[in-house]
Amino acid sequence: MAARLENRNVSFVVKFCIYAVMLAFTALAVYPIFWLIIQSFKTTQEYLTTSKLAFPRNWFTGNYPYSWRMGKFGTLLMNSVFYSVTTVLAVVILSLMAGFAFAKLKFRITPLLHGLFIIGILITLQSIMIPLFLMVNAAKLYNTRLGVLIPYIGLGLPMGVYLCTEFVKSIPNELIESGRLDGAGYMRIFSGIVFPMCAPVAVTLGILTFTGTWNEFILINILTSSDAIKSIPVGVARFSGALASDYGKQFSALVIGLVPILIFYAIFRKQITRGVAAGAVKG
Amino acid sequence: MTSKTEEKISYIALITPALLIYLAVIAFPIVFSILLSLTNYNGGKIFGNPNIKFVGFDSYIYMLTEPTRNFYMALKNNMLIVAVSVFGQIPLGFILAYILNQKVVKGSNFFQTMIYLPNVISPVIIGILFKSFYYGQNSVFMEIIRKFKPNAEFSILSQPMIPVLIVILWMYTGFYVIIFLANLQRIDSAIIEAARIDGANERQILARIVLPALSGVIVTCAILAISGSLKSFDLIYVMTGGGPASQTRVLSLYMYFMAFMGAPNYPLANAISTVMVIISFILIILTRRVEKIFGGKE
Amino acid sequence: MKQAKKTMIGILMILMLVLGFAACKGKESGKIELTVLNYFDMTVANASDEITVIWDQFEKDNPDIKLVREDLFNEPFHNKTESYAASGQMPDVIYAWPSGRSTTLHSQRLLKDLGPLVQKDNLAPLYTPVALDPSQQASGYMGILPQSMTATNAFFVNLEVLRDCGLEPAKTYTELKAQVPILKAKGYETILMANEDTWVMQSCLFSLVAGRFCGEGWEQKILSGQAKFTDPDFVAALNFIKTLYDDGIINRTTITTGYGDVVGLFATNKGAYYIDGDWRVGAFITDKSTGQALISPDKQKDIRITVFPEIDIPGVKLNRSNSVVLGVGWGMSASIPAGSAKEEAAWKLIKWLVGKDVLAWRVQTGGVPSPSRTDIDMGSLNLEPMQVAIANLGKEYDKATVVIDGAFDGPVYTPLNDGLQAIGMGSQTPQQVAAITQAAFDAWKASQ
Repeated sequence: MAARLENRNVSFVVKFCIYAVMLAFTALAVYPIFWLIIQSFKTTQEYLTTSKLAFPRNWFTGNYPYSWRMGKFGTLLMNSVFYSVTTVLAVVILSLMAGFAFAKLKFRITPLLHGLFIIGILITLQSIMIPLFLMVNAAKLYNTRLGVLIPYIGLGLPMGVYLCTEFVKSIPNELIESGRLDGAGYMRIFSGIVFPMCAPVAVTLGILTFTGTWNEFILINILTSSDAIKSIPVGVARFSGALASDYGKQFSALVIGLVPILIFYAIFRKQITRGVAAGAVKG
Repeated sequence: MTSKTEEKISYIALITPALLIYLAVIAFPIVFSILLSLTNYNGGKIFGNPNIKFVGFDSYIYMLTEPTRNFYMALKNNMLIVAVSVFGQIPLGFILAYILNQKVVKGSNFFQTMIYLPNVISPVIIGILFKSFYYGQNSVFMEIIRKFKPNAEFSILSQPMIPVLIVILWMYTGFYVIIFLANLQRIDSAIIEAARIDGANERQILARIVLPALSGVIVTCAILAISGSLKSFDLIYVMTGGGPASQTRVLSLYMYFMAFMGAPNYPLANAISTVMVIISFILIILTRRVEKIFGGKE
Repeated sequence: MKQAKKTMIGILMILMLVLGFAACKGKESGKIELTVLNYFDMTVANASDEITVIWDQFEKDNPDIKLVREDLFNEPFHNKTESYAASGQMPDVIYAWPSGRSTTLHSQRLLKDLGPLVQKDNLAPLYTPVALDPSQQASGYMGILPQSMTATNAFFVNLEVLRDCGLEPAKTYTELKAQVPILKAKGYETILMANEDTWVMQSCLFSLVAGRFCGEGWEQKILSGQAKFTDPDFVAALNFIKTLYDDGIINRTTITTGYGDVVGLFATNKGAYYIDGDWRVGAFITDKSTGQALISPDKQKDIRITVFPEIDIPGVKLNRSNSVVLGVGWGMSASIPAGSAKEEAAWKLIKWLVGKDVLAWRVQTGGVPSPSRTDIDMGSLNLEPMQVAIANLGKEYDKATVVIDGAFDGPVYTPLNDGLQAIGMGSQTPQQVAAITQAAFDAWKASQ
């Protein structure tokens, strides 16, 4: 009812402005990507010597097989999927467990421990990469999948614990108390009552962790040395940077790096746009 | 087993896995990094290196007093990014969400998808794209401009942070749009309807009902924005590399250059990162204070 | 539908887990395994041949050695090197600079002194003397065996553009300055440069200018305290850079010109001259994988390569000079025991990487303009005109002075790099930059 009333009051000009703003944002997001894809079909010589707005004179497809083969993107793609999926699962489960304990079990140590996790949100990766490298080496996990996964999970936890604690707080205490009255232990309550209710925050956290892990570059670069266990961003980095000498090859590698996440986004866009919000909604 | 011991055991069982990994991956390296900032370690082997000594706060003093005053430039740029995030992304995100929520435009879902898109793409790719696209005399952007004004010169040299801030604004606004939109949809429309019947206008409804209802969400967003903007690295690194003449350098970039360019100065790099954590900590506590003073009920 | 999606995701995850942990590999016995950290620009022309021509060939020739190679490029390479250095676990064979970005490896003595090995195999006659001079490397011993000598100033002249304006290549600074309005009237820039990255101005032009204003061995005087960056000759050198901007010889917009883009500008006749390092010729020649060249061999005849023109300003101590530094090369981890089989294998690999076959191939593909070896017959190689021109760059100058980021440490040259850009932007004066550099030098000296 309210919506319909407003509809009539909105003048054409206002409507036009709103559409303009929305379309501007859309164009800003879409056009560069479209442009990148077009340019990846040029040789670097054509890119550098002709207008950067123009379509290729001859569509040169050689950049893609070259980058795919040299960058070993087939292997890297499988690895990226593996790291992202495993990290998401571990982060979501561990964060929910800790979040539930922090939110619903009353212990005096909670503020201290919880605060400890929150500080983790503020850390820049660059400042811990050298110590982390030394530790992974000391634990004999250098250049192993586990040596990448554990740090990835650790990096996802601060945000995870923060979001999950906030979310679990919003679950009514009565539900847990009624579980207690039925004689259930806290572990039962967690797995039977709380865990199933946490789907929204799990989705949010899962999405944030997935994109974060998928795009992570600095750590995996220093923690691994063999191509068999590296991920896509490392492959992309081998083609890009200030000193890269061929734009065609660089752009094709960027597109290869971009396509999986775009497909992921296209398939799950509804879950993603809803999911991100769901968990961040506070009671 | 008494209820209290059961509670205790559950607590430990629930928290230990996360805590152990966290301590190993984050907490220990932080302590390590702080300790390193108090030594004279300068590259090479860390364990069993006889030349490493404790030198106290020398690196911190050097950071604050060295002649090129890099620290202050980087700090200023970081504060600009924090400002754009808190006073740009969040209000803009709110406005866009508010508009979408009024349902006066069609295709709300489509726009949501598009506005959020930059958040899923690697900042490295966005940085490279924008560099080729907007930045510099030979960018695509300048090529378009020159179609209208053939002698146009790229002239943001005096304010090189502006394009960086614009990209940051564009990149993350979508995140807040989505969050605000979901929360706006949760506000009970009966309350708004009642207010309208009582004669409240749109602005009063916004100020008295909508904003107070969202105060908790706004604080969460502010915390995310502050911690995110102090850490911003990839995008700027790829887009400008901190140049020209260090004028777009932020703290994380400054730290990175100290740690990895030529002869490293790890103590200084670690001192910078410690200061970064302290600054974001202060900002976040301030945010919570502000919420307590102005915030309504959640 | 929802159930189906769930099942699908479940199957996918299990698949991933299995795949992930199944990929464990056994170790081959009886072979010496060498870990190698390689700097590899996969986008450079002919990169794909490097694997077969250099790496596979070595393993074929040496069936008893197995190489475990890690290819990295740009910043990731340096991150990784510093990480290895911090843990004290170096790869057996590593690509490194003689100083600059690889200073840690030298100063922490993580690289083995190759001097004794060079002596044992009597390699001296095969290399130019400078390449084997230990004083050219960061810590005064031979940490790497360099593959090239690098002249950091190459002054490219586009004769086609000059003809279009009725001009001859400028021989002096004054002539250069006089050409600016004539070129501008026809829409040409005078000198193209990629000054977005700060190292470019310092390495490719200012090091030469400082050498000419301050004379040979100027860096030694500063290092020993006999001279200062704030002395009039160094300030005059900085001031010359300001003059180049003020005269419009170098456009201020070059400060936003990226290193990857400038070659395109020069190839499309946007300017009459172009300053870069000698290594950049590789960007212009034919890429065999696409058959295209930024400047076709035919057009390359119109490109002349020399050094920066004579600076005819009172106070200049040298002319016909260039800034020269050792190129990159290959080093060995210091932790490999002397006389071990591993040392022998690693040394064999280094000798191959800096050997005649590999260097001849690198010269031909544009990777190395002037090799450190003396036994490569340039005449027998199939080179394009610009490659021939760059190989003869040495005949264009008589004196060599230092490259600043090779002679000084990061804390000293970084503020100078930034300052040179600030001079271009007009935000700092030459005097201020000199003072900041001197202060940084004093602080650095105090910390040694």
